[in-house]
This record gives sequence, C-alpha cells and structure tokens, in this order.
Amino acid sequence: MDENHNTNTYDASQIEVLEGLDAVRKRPGMYIGSTDARGLHHLVYELVDNSIDEAMQGYCDTITITINADGTLSVADNGRGIPTDMHPKEKRPAVEVCMTVLHAGGKFGGGGYKVSGGLHGVGMSVVNALAAWLEVTVRQRGKIFFQRYEIGKPCFDLKVIGETQSTGTSITFMPNDTIFETLDFEFNTLKNRLREMAFLNSGIRIILEDKRAGREAKREFFYEGGVSHFVQYLNRTKHALTEQPIHIIGRRDDAEVEVAMQYTDGYAEAVYAFTNNISNPEGGTHVAGFRSAITRSINAYARSHGLLKEKDENLQGEDVREGLTAIISVRLPDPQFEGQTKAKLGTSYIRAAVDNMVSENLSTYLEENPQDARAIVGKCISASMAREAARHAREQTRRKSVLESAALPGKLADCSEKDPSLCEIYLVEGDSAGGSAKMGRDRRFQAILPLRGKILNVEKTRLDRAMSNEEIRAMITAFGCGVHEQCDVSKLRYHRIVCMTDADVDGSHIRILLLTFFYRFMRPLVEQGYVYIAQPPLYKVSKRGKDTYCYSDAQLDKILTQLGRDGTNIQRYKGLGEMNADQLWDTTMNPETRVMLRVSMSDALAADEIFSVLMGDAVEPRREFIEENAKLVANLDV
Amino acid sequence: MQYNLDKQTLVPIDLEEEMKKSFISYAMATIMSRALPDVRDGLKPVHRRILYAMNELGVTPDKPYRKSVRIVGDVLGKYHPHGDTAVYDTMVRMAQDFSTRYLLVDGHGNYGSVDGDGAAAMRYTEARLAGISMEMLRDIEKETVDFYPNFDESLMQPEVLPARYPNLLVNGSSGIAVGMATNIPPHNLREIIKGTIAMMDNPDITVEELMEHIPGPDFPTSAQIMGRSGILRAYKTGRGRVIMRAVAEIEERGNGRGRIIVPSCRIR
Repeated sequence: MDENHNTNTYDASQIEVLEGLDAVRKRPGMYIGSTDARGLHHLVYELVDNSIDEAMQGYCDTITITINADGTLSVADNGRGIPTDMHPKEKRPAVEVCMTVLHAGGKFGGGGYKVSGGLHGVGMSVVNALAAWLEVTVRQRGKIFFQRYEIGKPCFDLKVIGETQSTGTSITFMPNDTIFETLDFEFNTLKNRLREMAFLNSGIRIILEDKRAGREAKREFFYEGGVSHFVQYLNRTKHALTEQPIHIIGRRDDAEVEVAMQYTDGYAEAVYAFTNNISNPEGGTHVAGFRSAITRSINAYARSHGLLKEKDENLQGEDVREGLTAIISVRLPDPQFEGQTKAKLGTSYIRAAVDNMVSENLSTYLEENPQDARAIVGKCISASMAREAARHAREQTRRKSVLESAALPGKLADCSEKDPSLCEIYLVEGDSAGGSAKMGRDRRFQAILPLRGKILNVEKTRLDRAMSNEEIRAMITAFGCGVHEQCDVSKLRYHRIVCMTDADVDGSHIRILLLTFFYRFMRPLVEQGYVYIAQPPLYKVSKRGKDTYCYSDAQLDKILTQLGRDGTNIQRYKGLGEMNADQLWDTTMNPETRVMLRVSMSDALAADEIFSVLMGDAVEPRREFIEENAKLVANLDV
Repeated sequence: MQYNLDKQTLVPIDLEEEMKKSFISYAMATIMSRALPDVRDGLKPVHRRILYAMNELGVTPDKPYRKSVRIVGDVLGKYHPHGDTAVYDTMVRMAQDFSTRYLLVDGHGNYGSVDGDGAAAMRYTEARLAGISMEMLRDIEKETVDFYPNFDESLMQPEVLPARYPNLLVNGSSGIAVGMATNIPPHNLREIIKGTIAMMDNPDITVEELMEHIPGPDFPTSAQIMGRSGILRAYKTGRGRVIMRAVAEIEERGNGRGRIIVPSCRIR
C-alpha cells in the first residue's frame, strides 16, 4: 500500500511546462481544431491567410498553392517577404522567430499590419510545429534566403542561396504523419475555400495546382468584381430578379464594409458573413446591422411609393430576406468574436456602421432603379402574404387540435418516455413498413411516424403550400420544434430523428426529400447533428438455420467466402415491409446492434448550393451534375 | 433505459455527400430503367414486362381474353416489384385506341373513353396481346435477345424485345425522368417501314429525302397539324414543336341556334 502510494505522489516534478512548439504537438486540437482532414487543410489556410494579409496591405497580387507530386504542399506569394533581418530582442533572423516562436508576428498593432485575419501570431509556427519538415524561401533585398526545419527545429541558420530581383515568400511543408490521421490534401476542399478567398479579396490572383500523378488539375481564381461576383456565382443555379447584384462598398472610421446582394425567385435565404476573410456562420453584429437596414429601407420605399397601403402591415425581416443572396464582408482591426471559433462577430460599433451604409445605399439604389425596386418589393410582399397564409394554416391546425385534445398527428405512434434526449422518432416510408416498425420497436422510447409516398419537395414549394401539406404538417407537429426562425431545438421532442427508408432508389429519393425539408425548414437540427439515417440490411444470408445480415455488397462477399457459397440462401431485401418485426428490430432499430449514419454539415455554402442544384427549379445545372457524376452511381437496380 | 447507446455503430456522414450519393443513384435509376424508353424497342421496363409476362401466360391473339388482375398479378409477382395501379394503368393505355397509335394490348370491357372516363377496375376488364405485339415478341425464345434475372433472381426477363419494326417511332413515347425528359410522337407504320427501307438502300439519306416517305407524326386522335417547319426541326435537331388544331364544324339546327361539333381533337 505504501509503495503504491509512493509511485502515485503528486508533486512539483509532475507538473509539466510545455515549451513553445512542443505544446502545439501535444495538443494540436487547441490550435487547428482537429487532426483529421479538416485540421490538415487548416494548415494550408493558415499559410494562405498570411499571404492574403500581405495582399490586403497592397503588397502582393498573386498567391500560388501547389500540391506537389510527393504529397507536400507549397504556398508562394509575391509580397514583401517575411523580414530576414535580425530581430533586436531574439538575436535571430525575424523569419526564424516567426517560425519557431508562438505569438510572434506583425499583427499586434506594431504597425506591420492594420487589419488581418490572424489574431494571435501563431499561424506559421503552428504549421512548422506540425510538419515533418518545412522549407522557407524568402526573396528580399535582391537575395534569396533559405532555411529548412525538421519537426520544428531549424537544421541550419538562415542562408543566402542566390540573387533575385523579385520579392516574396514561399513555404513548402510535409505534414507530420505521427500527428495527422490523413496526409491527403483534397483538391476540391482547397478549391472551394480558395475560391471564396479570391471572391473576398478582389484583384488577388489565387492559383491552385495539383501535381500528383493521376490527379493533375489546375484552377485559377481572379475576380475583379469581388463580392458582387461572389453573389453572381452563388446565384448561377437560380433565377435572379435583377440583372446585377447591388454592390455597396464603404468605410466608417477604420472599418471597411463591402456588401453585395441580389434577389432570386427562390424561397431560401442565403446570407454569408465574413470578418477579415473569416467566415462567421453564426452571423453577429454585421449581419444584424444588415438585416435591420434592408427591412427598414424596403419598407420605407414601399410606403413612400404606395406599394404598401396605409392599412397594410409592415414587411417583416423574413419577408425581405426570402430569396435573398448576400455577402457581407467587413474588415476591421481587432475584431471581437463571441466564442472560440470566430463563428460570431461581437464588435458592436460594426452594427451601426453596416446599418447606415446599407440603408443609405439601398435607398438610393431603389430610387434610381424603379423597375428593380418594384420587382424586389413585389417579391417581398408576396412573401409576406405567404407567411400570413402559413400562419393561418398553422393556427388552424392548432385550433382544431384543441377539440381533438391530442395535438399530435393521428398517424404518429408515440413513445411513452417524455425526456427528449432519450427519445427517437423513426420516419418510415409507407404504411406497410410503418406496421413492421411499430411492432418491432421498443415503445418506451421509440416513436414511429409513417409517411405516405414521396413527400413534397420544399425547395420548389412556397411556405404556405408546404405548410398545408399533410406529411409536412405531421412532421412539424410531431417534432414540436417549429420551423425557420422559430425553430427552437430545446423544444424538440426527440433528440434522434431517424430516416428509415427502403434500401432501394425510391428510398434514396425520399431520403433526399426529407433532408431538403430538414435543411430548409429546421436547419439547426442538421447543424447540431440530430438527424440520422437508419441502415437496414441489404441481404440476409442463411445457412443451416443460421442467419447473417449484410449491410453492403462488400460485406456480402466477405461473408460468402467465409461460409462458402454451397447451400447458402441469399435474400435481397427490397423493402422494410418485407421483414418481420423482430428482424427489423434486430438489424436496424436495436440501439445495441444497429448501424446508423449521423448527418453532419461542414460547409454551409456548399450545402446550400447542392440543394439548389439538385432540388431547385433550374434543370440545366441538374443535368450537368448528373452527367458529371453518372459514373459514381453505386446501386443501380430497379 | 437499459440500453447502452455506446454499443451502436454511428458513422458520421456529410450532408452534401449523402445528398449527392442518394440523388445520383435515384436519378440514374430513373433515367436508365424507369421513365425513358429503350431506343431498340421503344418500351419502358414496365411495358416490356407486361408484354413479356402476357406472352409467358400465353394470352396471345388466338386465345380467349384473360382477366386483367391475373396479368397484373403475374407482372408484379414475377418482374415488377412496385405498385399494382402503375402496372394496370400502363396496360390500360396500351389498350386505348385514343392513347396508343397501334394497340399493343387487345382489351375487352370498359377501357375508358377520350372524354376522360377511366377504365373499369382491373377485376372487371379482360385483355390479351394484340396482333402487332406478336411482332414485338416473335422469336424471343430463340436467343435473339439477352436476358437478366428478376428482383429475387428466380426468373429471367428480356433486356429488350426482339422488335421487328421500329416501335419507338411507330408508337412514340413520353416520359419525365430527372434532369431530362422525352416526348416522341407516334408515326404511321406504313410510312415508317417505307422510310426504313429507303434508309437501308441509302444510308446517307438526308432528312428532307426521308421526309418524302415520312411526312410527319401520325396521332391516334386525328386533328390537324398546323405548319410543317416544326416537324423538320424536330427531325433534324431532336427538338421541335408540332402545333395541332382540332377540327370543328358548326351544325345549323334551323331554329336560329347551332352547335359546334368537334369530330377530332388532340388530347394528351
């Protein structure tokens, strides 16, 4: 006992102080979020952010990102180059200080950079810490400087390896395979983010090249129109109401504001906000300012031109945002964010700045372009009528339910448990499968809602029509969390919403219709991971009275080679109704044995685009998508 | 709850990926094997399965009619694992002389009318193959076409029928898939055969020369085609508009009143 005690002594010798870059290697998550593909790509963005900061000062106009044939990655710019002279305090070249010391950089107000995306001066040193090796080349003062690091340590002092007339920085690194789960840089992931950066920084040319064998690709992004181009790009799969986006650029004190907005004939709102090039998916003060500005301006215009009569109610925020695509980009020194992830801007004076600038410019635009103004106001008014009709429809369902005493849809087979965090609801395709599920479930915590046939495509439907659809209403009342702005996850009655459709192509179709509904009506459910997809087995393999279930063709092959093909009987499940209740429980619904997919969302922009391409009104982009992806088709049968 | 939720297998999946994957498999299935006809026999899978199942049942033109339910039941149970109404509605259209230019199914009983009345329920009506369908099916047992297994791999079904005439042009077809759709008008059988022979004699024949044999579509409900430029465009590019007008006469009834008689009009 005593001995044991000794070894467990907790004294000063056990308090570790992680020095410099060791801390990064020990806890990479704190600096780059994670060590999966997302974290890996984050390294690239850190380096590109530095180059963009240089460009924002006007010293750099081209950034080249290359995925090299050996799997390393290079980022090169033609800016001023990282300073190579001796740092007065550290007694080493400044570039080495930036690479090896955390919180070293020109972004703390020392006059190097006025505004920047980076805040803490950790970017480059973090990349260095997490790289197996890294080489930096700086072209500056007529010379080429070069230095190599391995696992964060310089191999030699900064040396001059040649002469040059140009300036710039170029960094090549190999990520450390003992830290990252994957070392594979994805061209498409980088492409999307870099395109976004090129849009936000008009006039900068960003070149992305993949030199790996068999995956060669090259893209160049250069948009002089900036965020206005960005809006047009986002709207290319939709029908816009006005020919050109409304583009507003201005400056208040030391904050730069750039806004572009354009209305489409769609129903979804797509407003994206950025602070110093960093996306703010949760919005913040700039979005708040923008929203109040457009609501006020459009109402004022509609009133003064008699489009809204005296007795009419004002247009609400959601009316003026229906079908609106907008980018709000602000640049300011020392932005304050709420939370760790920079997801929400908190700097309060930005609200007034954006508000003033947008309302001034938007009012002028509406006065100067009466035709566009009429189209926009007309759109907003019909949105408000639809909202009114939808509210009416909602109230009627509620009023009726008072008489019927139970507010829940008749088809719902509810569970007895009341704690939402334990409850799950299965959305089942068709009454036949609904029956199996109802009998097979554990009624204490599993609820079943059978849906008849294909549900409505809400991407192509107006709110009031969607709200009067029976299946949609059944889902909304069953979930209890409300829709759109009123969607409140804390009121959700089930914390696991499971789409359980047949394992055939119609099941796939119903699944995408459901996901469209969740994404457009109850986005927080998708964002916060409440949506699941059940995985019913594809095959049952029976041999000598023993049944095995297979969830994929690969698994089937494996099991067949294990058991031997002779005397085995294979049943392919076409629908859930084909299974007995107990089979369905064992394979798909039993929480201890089931396999479920949990839907997550990483890129709101890409998700929005995929929904409007696949489910929207325009046919041409959809056909292009099919032609591009036809070869990927997984299970083609009838 | 006594369940240990940690035991389940939770696989994270990206919304975008799931949408893409599910969409493409639905879209491709709809395009390849549901809504669009095969160019070789002009049939969608459901048509082909009905004709093949009827042939297997032996309800040929020289045999008595068979109850529609039995035919539909056979199609469903053997080849087409979907709803019964879809199969029956398809069979009805193949037996309606105002829907199909050359009937593929010979129906007996109330098969509906051009006014929009539906056919009687499938327990009342009877059907057998029409004469021309035998030309679609002839020699099918002589290994003229490839076969593939049905949904439970217990039976084989033809990939395409060994059609002896170009049924796609003769009976036309229309269908809406995902991202693409088709609408092909029916044609006169005699004209199409003449055109086919002309093309066999001269493979480099121009569209204009071909139109000497095939002047245009031939719809089951007559009516007039207004102008031929749309037909030429359709034959040349695959996209064209054929404008139709109903034929109408005014019949005087003597007492100062008249009535408009429409002996033929195009509906679809």
